[in-house]
Order: sequence, then structure tokens, then C-alpha cells
Amino acid sequence: MSTDRSKPFDGSTLPLDVTRADQPAVLPSLQPNSRPHRLEQIGGPGAPRDFPLEFDEIVVGRSLQAHIAVESGSISRRHMCLRRDGPEYTFADLDSANGVFLNGVKAHAAVLREGDQLQLGDVVFRYHEGQ
Amino acid sequence: MASFVRFWGTRGSIPTPGHRTRVYGGNTSCVEVRVDDTLFVCDGGTGMRELGDSLLRRSNGPLQAHLLFSHTHWDHIQGFPFFLPAYKPSTTLHIYDVERDDDRIHRLLLGQMRSEYFPVTFSDLGSKIVSSDLHGGNKVIEGVTVSAFEQRHPGRSFAFSLAKAGRKIVYATDSELDLMVVNADEAERDPRAQRRLPEEAIRFMRDADLLVADGQYNDDDYRKGWGHARANTVVDMAMQAGAKQLAIFHHDPTQSDADVERKVQVARDRARAAGSNLVIFAAREGLELKVD
Repeated sequence: MSTDRSKPFDGSTLPLDVTRADQPAVLPSLQPNSRPHRLEQIGGPGAPRDFPLEFDEIVVGRSLQAHIAVESGSISRRHMCLRRDGPEYTFADLDSANGVFLNGVKAHAAVLREGDQLQLGDVVFRYHEGQ
Repeated sequence: MASFVRFWGTRGSIPTPGHRTRVYGGNTSCVEVRVDDTLFVCDGGTGMRELGDSLLRRSNGPLQAHLLFSHTHWDHIQGFPFFLPAYKPSTTLHIYDVERDDDRIHRLLLGQMRSEYFPVTFSDLGSKIVSSDLHGGNKVIEGVTVSAFEQRHPGRSFAFSLAKAGRKIVYATDSELDLMVVNADEAERDPRAQRRLPEEAIRFMRDADLLVADGQYNDDDYRKGWGHARANTVVDMAMQAGAKQLAIFHHDPTQSDADVERKVQVARDRARAAGSNLVIFAAREGLELKVD
């Protein structure tokens, strides 16, 4: 899917064929032998598990419509969005009730780097850069 | 409505690209502050280039920005000639000196675009550039009270406070706080002792929701007279001022990401030892905070 950068980054342009947490992702554009960026869930319901990041925009939340759906009452239905910008992912808080903490600091958005920890309520992810 | 602060350049002195600085960034000072719909840009170091690109992607109509320069050393102005919105006729840029009879900011932005330094001259910029002043240090701009405070730095520098509806953001870089410590002898004898800053400095920072402050040095690599602060001294100032969050800014060009993390951990330990719940973190390129 392509991303229209003239629009605000609010996760509203997501495709309908979302990938559920418990389903294998469809790989739309990966090169052979490439290793995708991924979120490793290290805390909260369902942990530990891995989510390869294979779309340009990915919503994380409690909603079953989220790409990464986590059944936790401490997170919002659409809590956080990840957006690919070239070789990097940026996260943005989608006006969630409890916010997103990047390495312990409440943040609205940031370019992610290897090892960054994202906490959404009681759900904790570690970000890993692919190749 | 809320305020947003985004770091486009956090490095001091000179750009430091490369794998050692990939997390906290290698671009020099540039911070975007959006207070409701009003856009301020604090300093125009090399981070300003990417800010400009981002603004063009985000904006559909005419762009208006208020540019506040702490001072005119290279690492605070060098990005301006690469700020693409300045080339668009639909853009209006307000450039502020602090005092009415001072035109230093305008003069040096123009000077660095002389043909000896840069292929496009200042007068060829397509945007509307309005030079103004902060009435000596206090001005209301679109409902935001902008205040200035002179700091200790070779050649002068100013901190800025932006306040509206009970929210306050302070940008205070290039300030050698260690030369302002009131109890200097005690602080010299005992590095753990609180370093007390002058009341006028504390008053300016008072109750900031976010304080972005120069904390270039560790205690043991401080270069006296170079115009920058030790991170531990900034922590003491933030605690005395009752700031809620402290972003340690203007990282030394010799500091790797790991060095910056060690510096911040020491700063956090100092605050905890003092019983403070001040939130401390390193300013990081690409990080955006919501201040509400």
C-alpha cells in the first residue's frame, strides 16, 4: 500500500485486510532474504510473542480491527500507529487514554531505534530493526 | 488544544552524523514548538533542513512561522539557508531579535548567505521575511507570551519561554550555568551538594511543564569558559525551578549514544538522591512530546 504524506498521520488510511495478532502476516513487499523490523511483546496479555512489521501503516490497540490487537483493558481501541518512512518506523500516539511511554518517558511520536521500549498501559513492546 | 515539541537537532557545536550518534542524532540545534496553531522554531541549526521538508509535506496552504534564535553561533543558524519554506512566496517568516535596537539576528542570517558562503543570497529568498523584536524580552505573539532571558555564553545568548493557558515551555540552550552557581565554593568542595542558581534564573524557569536545557557536559569533562553547562547543574536548576520535565539538550559532539545515556542516568540518579520526581531524558532527534 502507498502512503499519502499530504494527509495527517492518524492511522485512518489503513487497508481493510488487516492482519490479526494471531494470524500470520501477508508479506506485501519484502525482498528475498530481508528480515523485517519487528515488535517483540515482552509484557502484558499474550507476551512473549513477535510481530513482524510488514505494512507501511500499522495500528496497535484493543480493537479486533487493529493490525496488532492485544486484549488488555489498559490500552485504547486504537492506541498507537506505526508508520514506515523509508527504512525507518515512526510511532505516534493516537490520542490514547493512557499514552505511550518510550523508554519510560511519555512521548507523542518518535523515530524508533533498535532496542526502544514502548509501553502502552500494561503492554510492553521492544522494537527491533530488521535488515 | 495542546502544545507539541519536536526535536530536529539536539547536538552541540558541530553536526556529528554516523552510527555512534544514530539514536540521539547528529544535527545541530533546532526545535519545533507548536502552541495550538502557532508555529515557533527555536534555533536554526542543521536540523532545520529536515524541519522545512516536513513542514512542506504537512502544509497545504500558506505557512507562517516565528523564528527565535538563542544566538548566532554556527550551530544555531547554519540550517537556515537550507530551510525550503523560506524559498516559497506563500511563506511568512517572523524573525525576532530580543531588543528593539538590535538587528544582529537578521544581519548574521543575511551575512551567512553572502556569495562567499552560499550560492543564494538572502534577498533572493522568495518568502516574506518580517524582522521584529521581543520588546526587550516580553511579547505576546498570537496569544502566546514569549519571554527572553539573557544567559552566560560567549557573545551572548538568550533563553525563551513560551506560555499560554497555564502551559509553559522553556528553551534554554548555550548557557554556562556553572559560572552562575551562587554557592560555588561549597559546590566545588562537594559535587553532591545542590548547586544553587540565581533567583532571576529560577524565576524564569519556574514551573515549566517542559524545560529544554543545555546539559552538554558531565561533571568530569566540563570545559570551563566554553559556554555550556554540566548536566548535573541543569538538574539542580530544574529541581529548584519546580520544572516537571527536563530534556537535556545540546549533546557534546564527542558523545556517542551510549555516552549520552550514561550522562542522563547520572542526572536521574542525582534527582532521585535529592528526592525529586523530575522526569529527565535526553533530547533525541525525531522525538515529539505533547505538553498538556
